[in-house]
Amino acid sequence: MDITIKELEHLYSKGTPFERTALKDVDLSIKEGTFLTIIGHTGSGKSTLIQHLNGLLKPTAGSIEIGEFHIKSGEKEKRLKELRKHVGVVFQYPEHQLFEETIEKDIIFGPLNFGVSEEEAKKRAAELIELVGLDHSFLERSPFDLSGGQMRRVAIAGVLAMKPSILILDEPTAGLDPRGRKEIMELFYRLHQEEGLTTILVTHSMEDAARYSDRIVIMEKGTVALQGTPMEVFSDANALKALSLDIPETVQFIKRLEDRFNTTLPHSVFTLEETVEAAVSLLREEES
Amino acid sequence: MMQNIIIGQYVPGKSYVHNLDPRAKLLTTFLFVIIVFLANNWITYALLGAFTISAIVVSRIPIRFIYNGLKPILLIIILTFFLHVFLTKEGPLLFDLGFIEVYQGGVEQGVFISMRLLFLIMITSLLTLTTTPIDITVGLETLLGPFKRFGLPVHEFALMMSIALRFIPTLLEETEKIMKAQAARGAQFSSGPIKERLKSIVPLLVPLFVSAFKRAEDLAMAMEARGYRGGEGRTSIRLLKWEAKDSLLFVFLLVLSIALILLRS
Ligand SMILES: Nc1ncnc2c1ncn2[C@@H]1O[C@H](COP(=O)(O)OP(=O)(O)OP(=O)(O)O)[C@@H](O)[C@H]1O
Ligand SMILES: [Mg+2]
Repeated sequence: MDITIKELEHLYSKGTPFERTALKDVDLSIKEGTFLTIIGHTGSGKSTLIQHLNGLLKPTAGSIEIGEFHIKSGEKEKRLKELRKHVGVVFQYPEHQLFEETIEKDIIFGPLNFGVSEEEAKKRAAELIELVGLDHSFLERSPFDLSGGQMRRVAIAGVLAMKPSILILDEPTAGLDPRGRKEIMELFYRLHQEEGLTTILVTHSMEDAARYSDRIVIMEKGTVALQGTPMEVFSDANALKALSLDIPETVQFIKRLEDRFNTTLPHSVFTLEETVEAAVSLLREEES
Repeated sequence: MMQNIIIGQYVPGKSYVHNLDPRAKLLTTFLFVIIVFLANNWITYALLGAFTISAIVVSRIPIRFIYNGLKPILLIIILTFFLHVFLTKEGPLLFDLGFIEVYQGGVEQGVFISMRLLFLIMITSLLTLTTTPIDITVGLETLLGPFKRFGLPVHEFALMMSIALRFIPTLLEETEKIMKAQAARGAQFSSGPIKERLKSIVPLLVPLFVSAFKRAEDLAMAMEARGYRGGEGRTSIRLLKWEAKDSLLFVFLLVLSIALILLRS
């Protein structure tokens, strides 16, 4: 399902003295199967934007199309529940949504709500618990006896169990240790590729953005300030500086590498491995 | 949805009423509740009305907020009015609809009782509209201070109130977050059959309680770590200052009371 956002505006507490513009003039289109990363400073409207994609927030102006679903300000989309079945959201600190007696019951809460049979839901729970890196014995345990990181994994399994075709991740790795971050991000990326998901990731990590995304959107003060492929975005160093955002370390390194060897590298090198390779081959060339 | 619910209903401002010492306002409200019962004829009720209205005007609180405070009990006021009009059979008969007779005394009683309720609600709303909840708490703690001698846990009571006030917005915010997370997993809070909606209360309340208890534990730990051990010998960071303008308020109140006593029939 393609996503098209047109002139989206969101005002919190509209019409009261506490009115506050969180989004304005947001135009964005996201093709099915894209891995899109949203970056922006705190308060730039990232969370507000993604909550529009499954109808948790309604636009105060503008419209959103998600496949056959239309969300417009002032109109009621009656099939919100159906939409939410297609759009899974992992919120910031998703472990706060756990509530059941056992982990299994919590994971199947979403699927059951969307009409999946109990048998099928339990099958998914059994698969997912291993996929998120916990073992089978966890299913019968209480979600409240777990460590924070384990709770996070269970909560993520609870969203994945709905088998969404659009997966929205709002800083899914905030507060995890570096290894946990990597594991979880790799999991999302694998799912993205294997299941052909449309993934929308909100993150503060430039490295993750560089590594996984097809497209990057930079939000600033409630509107889209810059967008494009990682290559386009990260090579625009001046624009990034103007938005006071960091350039990923690998990109900085490549810039210095280029200066040092007086060459230009192909602008698609962003991951650590690729950077190492490029550097090694440059060094080899120099030697020979 | 629930953003910016102003706890209590404090409306920031800098008027004479806002700047009064919370103790003065609390005492005045308390005394006003008593002297309202002195009024028993048109002129005394007019005096009370004048006092109430000037207090509102001086506070510069928009009428809308006063009206919001009145809304919940408007129905009760109207009901009381009609009960008196129809059931009190005093004074000359005004008109007779056959099945119902309306007497002058009934109308008078109806108007008086409704005005009494109106004034009471307006003045108490004015207290909460112009005083932050924390100031009310501190004011109450100092006013009730003398009762500590009789074993009343005044400090604990005030502490409880301020902690509750501090955490209400946090809890509301949390409620909203959890509601959204569960709605994204297909729970139905605001639409769909009643049965569905009732069922979705569990996924909301359990996480809410879990986090509230966790917060309570953290708070207790943090307070203990910083050496909190009850109210004994504790001083407050908020110093209340009784000024001339606070005493002036009591002059107004005294004049009002004397006038009421002289003019009542
Ligand atoms: N529930 C709310 N009520 C009122 N204003 C809000 C609410 N949620 C967010 N805002 C305001 O809207 C703006 C955008 O907030 P949003 O949460 O979308 O930012 P964000 O980009 O997700 O930030 P972060 O990186 O800190 O998560 C902010 O100015 C914020 O103060
Ligand atoms: Mg956010």
